[in-house]
Amino acid sequence: MLKTIFPTLTRFRFTIQLIMLFVTVYGGALLGTYMVDRISQALPSLACAFDKQTGDHCILIVNQHQLHHRIGEALVKAQEITYKVFIPTLISVGTFFALFFFLNKAFCGWVCPMGTVQEVIYRIGRRLGRPLHRFEPGNVGRVRPVKWLMLLVLVLGLPLLAGMGTVSNELGDPYCQVCPSRIATTLLTADTEQIALRTGTGINMFLGALGNTLFGFIIIAALAVRLPFCRICPLLSWNALFQRLSPMQLVKKQHDKCAKCGVCEKACPMDIHEIGQEYGKKAFHEDCTLCGRCVEYCPDDDVIQIKFFGIPLFKSSREYYKNRVKLETPEGLPKNKVIWLAPAKENRNG
Amino acid sequence: MRNILLGAMVMAVSPLVFAAASAPAATQAQQDRAAGEHAGHTMPVLGSEAQGRVGKERGMSRPTAWTSFPILKAKMSGEGREGRSITLVPQGIVANSIVAYSNDIKDASGQRQLPFDMAGAKLDKPASGGLHWLAAREEQGDEVRVASTVYYFSNPGKNPTAIFMQQKHELEIIPQPFPREHSRYRANEDWKFLVRFNSKPQANHKVSLETGNGTKAELVSDAQGIITMHVPDDFKSESGQKTAGEHSHGRRSSDFVLATEYREGGKNYLTAFNGSYGPGAFDQRSLAMGLGFTLLGMAGAVPLLRQRKSAKQAGDAMQSSVAETANNKDA
Repeated sequence: MLKTIFPTLTRFRFTIQLIMLFVTVYGGALLGTYMVDRISQALPSLACAFDKQTGDHCILIVNQHQLHHRIGEALVKAQEITYKVFIPTLISVGTFFALFFFLNKAFCGWVCPMGTVQEVIYRIGRRLGRPLHRFEPGNVGRVRPVKWLMLLVLVLGLPLLAGMGTVSNELGDPYCQVCPSRIATTLLTADTEQIALRTGTGINMFLGALGNTLFGFIIIAALAVRLPFCRICPLLSWNALFQRLSPMQLVKKQHDKCAKCGVCEKACPMDIHEIGQEYGKKAFHEDCTLCGRCVEYCPDDDVIQIKFFGIPLFKSSREYYKNRVKLETPEGLPKNKVIWLAPAKENRNG
Repeated sequence: MRNILLGAMVMAVSPLVFAAASAPAATQAQQDRAAGEHAGHTMPVLGSEAQGRVGKERGMSRPTAWTSFPILKAKMSGEGREGRSITLVPQGIVANSIVAYSNDIKDASGQRQLPFDMAGAKLDKPASGGLHWLAAREEQGDEVRVASTVYYFSNPGKNPTAIFMQQKHELEIIPQPFPREHSRYRANEDWKFLVRFNSKPQANHKVSLETGNGTKAELVSDAQGIITMHVPDDFKSESGQKTAGEHSHGRRSSDFVLATEYREGGKNYLTAFNGSYGPGAFDQRSLAMGLGFTLLGMAGAVPLLRQRKSAKQAGDAMQSSVAETANNKDA
């Protein structure tokens, strides 16, 4: 029965993504206005606090506010740095980790509304026959540090400096001001406020213009690039800090055929080439979102597995692979289905 | 791919440059906000019967310039938004104490009577964060007056609906709902309130609305006792407007009060609910410019959608390689 409804892990994941999109974008309307106060307020995915209907919101806004209003201000008055200042921050991080512990980076691959929006757009791109642009092993390394830069500058650095009075108070939540999820999720509730540019000050305008331009770029780029924003998302790097501390792990065994095969690399929406070339801890890369596509598209039994406390939840198998490729190519191009425009091709030039 | 890379690098680094340039202005902006906050506290202009009683007999009260109705003002006592306590100042009501109702309805100490000191009634930050109900009551002869408001303490708290709906006084005005964190009453928005007497919704009941910016209006409840307050867009230009405090990020703010009366059993009940509100959602925002920059970003990504000959060949090769892998595995 379950296999009929969810013949593939991708179908199951997409169903979960749609449910979580509903919860994170419209959950407040369904579960009550004050629901956001009761779940976590520290979700490890980009559910947006500016969405008035959201069921919960991401930890990044909390981080920025705490650095801005607590730690930054307290650093100025050094004598006030006590456990009373840091405890609330620790509580937020603790709440985040209590959720993160169980699902690890599946919050990126299964829960994040921005990830779901990008995947839906990518699917539309396949139907429209748009090309696929991928990062190759030679150039993927250039984009990977950007997510750490985003975390250090926009989520941690500027809010802290704003709290200390070194930079403008308006830079207290700079990441939220450029986050595409803020615009995407509020537009999904027919709220156009967040796409309207803030014109109060130069900083407002600058960050708003940057955020809107990024949002526009991501929306179109997602037609031809898989998960374009996830690659630079500071929540991906934040989650990566904790990914080894969860019992939910992606595990890959060494296998002779891996060097020649490479299908799992093609299936990976984050272009993690290490999944094909490495094994052990190196295969569970910092960019992994635990979407499980590499497991689905591994043609050998038990080579790649998603394990929870060492118990396999999903593992690669030859039979599954054979059925999977009949439905969809590793790159996500549906087989035996209508392509609205010209057939999609891949651009491997980066 | 270079497009993405370049855009991302610029996005991550450029705010630093901007931040450095804006630092002195920021300090001035903070000072201006602080000054604005104090400028909002004007001296009283007394007029009504209620104001005539202010401060005479007992308790603590400070008159309000913009309304004759009783209100309860909450001010942070600690540093910044994360102050450990707030000070409640009743205005237009003579009350001996103020009662704070925690949203944790199971907490035995959830309902606390707050004694006054010179500045007002102090409420230490409760264990449960979130929304808390605050009320001051004055009873003299056949007059019962209640001032009520809601205050948000940072950190997650319990769902406040139960405590909001619990009967606390005879005549009540209850927000349905109250704006949650990261939200607030804003001009041109509609917000609902329940008017009830002894827990019974009052249909076709008149409620007065007054704002710190000078708006006065009369609302009438529907058959379910619900009034819909259309928050007035009565903010004037920048000058003379106070901001919402240290955490306001420069947002302007004003106060409103909803008040209603009910007479029963020879007693006259007057209850007011007050809060603050800000300018409309699109104040200091430009939808046209927002859409313009979004389109600019979209245009920047358009080259990614074009087919290239070399890419076509690479795509063909890749697809055949996947098919080959599948066939090999079958074999």
